[in-house]
Amino acid sequence: MRPDPAFALLGLYETALPEVYGYLLSRCGDRTLAEELTSETFLGAVAACRKEYAPPVSTGWLIGVARHKLADHWRRKEREERGLRLVADSTVSDQDVVDPWDERLDALRARQVLESLGSHHRAALTLRYVDGLGVPEVAGHLGRSVHATEALLVRARAAFRRAYEEKEGRDA
Amino acid sequence: MPEPFDALRRPSERVGPDPDFAAELRDNLRRVILNGADMTTTSEAPASTAELRSLTPYLAVSDARAALDFYVEVFGAVRRGEPILMDDGRIGHAELAIGDAVLMLAEEYPEIGHVAPQAGGASVRVEVPDADVSVARALELGATLIRAVSDSSYGRGGSFRDPFGQRWLVSQASPKPEPQPKQGESMYFTFQVPDAEPAKTFYGAVLGWQFSPGSTEGAWGIEGHGRPGGLWGGPGRQVGWKLMFAVDDLDAALTRVGEQGGQAGEVENHPYGLTADCTDNQGIEFWLWQQPAGRE
Repeated sequence: MRPDPAFALLGLYETALPEVYGYLLSRCGDRTLAEELTSETFLGAVAACRKEYAPPVSTGWLIGVARHKLADHWRRKEREERGLRLVADSTVSDQDVVDPWDERLDALRARQVLESLGSHHRAALTLRYVDGLGVPEVAGHLGRSVHATEALLVRARAAFRRAYEEKEGRDA
Repeated sequence: MPEPFDALRRPSERVGPDPDFAAELRDNLRRVILNGADMTTTSEAPASTAELRSLTPYLAVSDARAALDFYVEVFGAVRRGEPILMDDGRIGHAELAIGDAVLMLAEEYPEIGHVAPQAGGASVRVEVPDADVSVARALELGATLIRAVSDSSYGRGGSFRDPFGQRWLVSQASPKPEPQPKQGESMYFTFQVPDAEPAKTFYGAVLGWQFSPGSTEGAWGIEGHGRPGGLWGGPGRQVGWKLMFAVDDLDAALTRVGEQGGQAGEVENHPYGLTADCTDNQGIEFWLWQQPAGRE
């Protein structure tokens, strides 16, 4: 008989912790929040790994759990920001900027811009580009349809580009 | 087509979190796994471990109501029951839980010598999650600083006199070292039975155990108190309890198994450590386990 799979989680803890924490910290940029989400990831993984047909416990699997926790966080935050967004979004229309954009992004500035966006835009762009997920996977994490996710990504890219160019102007 | 947004791609990098956080999460994780508690939600407050211990301070304070509020605010204390109110309006007894300990206090009763010190007096050492925050809050609420928070060889801490006459040594709580398994300690068991279902029914009814599906057919995790274990149903195995014992050095232990007339099995490398199936000199099966390197 193989022991409780959660036992493997304890064994993996020391190796997986910096990976999970590093993943979350680089995506959310806030130590306190990264700690909270890291706790949620490991404690949530106990029940998840005991489920029937759960994949074997591994660092990669834990990163996937962490990604879900991060997406959940942004969804909660988005609900809080929704009132604000109705105002903010009206200033960024899809036609404001043309989607093909051939700027070479400055990595540091891009990261700062990403952190300054609303949760819904930040979540979509992080999952799609920082994590490199396909649109259907992004849709799954955000609980939206693929179509709605594509539309969200268009708006998110526009918002990003606007903020980036504004910042470029300020920083220059 | 490559697009500028591809520049955002960022593989995740290893970052070691704050060691205190890492230790606390490890303890929580261990507790959740070993207690078999359902932790699908993490928002519930942990059960208080406060109880009367070998030593409990009993304070005399000048204003018990204000003092109770102050200790709740500054130390994160939790009220234990209702204060006992005397006929003259004074609080005759009140209790607070701070961490795993209890603090008792009563208003001043000069008639029995129960009075707050006018100067000096004893100090009570209290551990808090964040000494800087506690001391800063205390000063905002009218405490007098005795020693500012600083790092010392006993950890981070400071001290103050509260507005009710008490002196406090505020210390940053440090993570308690995790107890290490000792050689010979049983860490895990499997219960091997011809058929899992009757065993689940029987032990569920007798001991209140619950069973979560395991990783293979016929395998069940046992959720109950005490030593973690699993149930394995099906033919072809020795029937009965099979214990996993911790050893310091698996290879050396396997040599001893052979020398003493037992059967030493192959070493298996698992994320949770090295294990080997063994049989003793009367044919009874057991396991040996050595914890993964680097966890001592």
